[in-house]
Amino acid sequence: MNKIYLWGFIVTAAMLGFTYMSVIGSKGGLNGDIVNILTAAAAVALVLITVFTVIKYVRQMQVDTASGELANEKWDDIGEYLNPIPTGWGILFLLTMVWGMWYFLIGYPVNGYSQIGEYNEDVAAHNTKFEAKYKDITGDRLIEMGESVFLAECKVCHGLTADGIDGTASDLNVRLEANVVKYHILHGSNSKLMGTENPMPNRYGIMNANTDYSPISDAEIDVVSEYVANGMTGEGADVFAGACAACHGADGKGQAYVAPNIATFDIGLVVTILNHGKRGVIGGMPAFDRLNTKQKEAVGAYITSLSAKE
Amino acid sequence: MFHWLEKNPFFFALAVFVTIAFAGLVEIVPNFAQQSRPLIGTTPYSTLELAGRHVYIKNSCNACHSQLIRPFKSETDRYGDYSLSGEYAYDRPFLWGSKRTGPDLMRVGNYRTTDWHENHMWDPEKVVPGTIMPAYRWMFVNNTDIDTAYAEMLTIEKFFGVPYNKPVPMKDGTTKIIKMGATLNEARMMALEEAITISHDMKNQDVIDAVALGRIPEIVALIAYMNSLK
Repeated sequence: MNKIYLWGFIVTAAMLGFTYMSVIGSKGGLNGDIVNILTAAAAVALVLITVFTVIKYVRQMQVDTASGELANEKWDDIGEYLNPIPTGWGILFLLTMVWGMWYFLIGYPVNGYSQIGEYNEDVAAHNTKFEAKYKDITGDRLIEMGESVFLAECKVCHGLTADGIDGTASDLNVRLEANVVKYHILHGSNSKLMGTENPMPNRYGIMNANTDYSPISDAEIDVVSEYVANGMTGEGADVFAGACAACHGADGKGQAYVAPNIATFDIGLVVTILNHGKRGVIGGMPAFDRLNTKQKEAVGAYITSLSAKE
Repeated sequence: MFHWLEKNPFFFALAVFVTIAFAGLVEIVPNFAQQSRPLIGTTPYSTLELAGRHVYIKNSCNACHSQLIRPFKSETDRYGDYSLSGEYAYDRPFLWGSKRTGPDLMRVGNYRTTDWHENHMWDPEKVVPGTIMPAYRWMFVNNTDIDTAYAEMLTIEKFFGVPYNKPVPMKDGTTKIIKMGATLNEARMMALEEAITISHDMKNQDVIDAVALGRIPEIVALIAYMNSLK
């Protein structure tokens, strides 16, 4: 008998013994549990299969001789058999190619993942949720939302307290500053504050090419600028009534389609500025149309609340 | 067949080449697809914008700022629409960046203005409390290198066919022509004209005076580039 079989028996006995000691003979034992029994059976099977396979291939190495048809060519005297590949491999290989074709032509294109698709779903889901959650939001909650949007989008120019950072942007704690009012009286304005091209004339008035005569004097401009900047109080009411009230209304609150509110902020005014941007004495403000309608409204409410409390 | 190839080195080499070339084609050809072409509305950089891009690269702005907006809601809320490959058609090299220490700048031209950049580059801490961005005051003094920008324009126009002086289609159906000077002097004049337009929105008297005298401080070119990022 070959020594290899003897070693096979010894190893098998040792490993089965080890299995018995560590599983069946141990304190818990098989415990009548089907999973434990199956596990022990699998361990026994593994031992037997391992020993059988090792013996088979060691025997093959001991007794096997090379046979079969050799290929014609040799490389450095090393030959190669013309053995066909195993049938199972061949079939699997062909199936892999068929699957590859299917995946390339149908599987991926039809069911493929699209990150833009996922993004679109994400945005749609968010928007639906946002609308449902904040549909009826009003009052203080709207102002709170406006403040959070302001701190994300607007504070970069207008500052944390909306003070305009030393005049590098508009101070939103007041409706208008005197220098802003003066600039627009002198130069006119066309910032689409009503949502359309609706220019305010410069100091020479509408359709007036005569730049020698101005219907409003320098002193009057200074007075009325202070008047508007002080929230329509103080001196200058008479100048305002004469020069400005025709469009902006006697109380400065503007008229629909004619002139914007210059006495106070209101939500509509702020939303229009967010939609169109603005250009004035300080510089330009870009449009912020990436905010959604509710957010713009909220910013309007927040900015209105800033000057209302003074 | 393979035995035959193995015995014929020349044809074997040829077959290797064809196989690898095929793999190469699979990777390269899609880059010529329409979606990789310049987008409608993407225009080449003008002389001053290109010079500003050089300032951007020279100061390693891309070390802290990316120019690539990914398609996530959190990003598009902050920085604008997600980036498309055709938008980088005229970027040589692209400036995607690899780390966002500062915010993405891909569309900064949509929501920041000339005077904001001016204030911010002069003293970032004043505009954005707590920022770690350093001030770049030398940009208000150093002159822009228009000549190099013009040299690059000539090169990319000649070798990459960048459409200077040709109508480029815009989103609203119109066309726009980005001009390139025929001579270096003309290019300098054109850059100066652009710089004058931008300096109208600026407040720094030194910069305004410099531009009036025909010099272009780097900050003006950089702002031109920033404003072109949309």
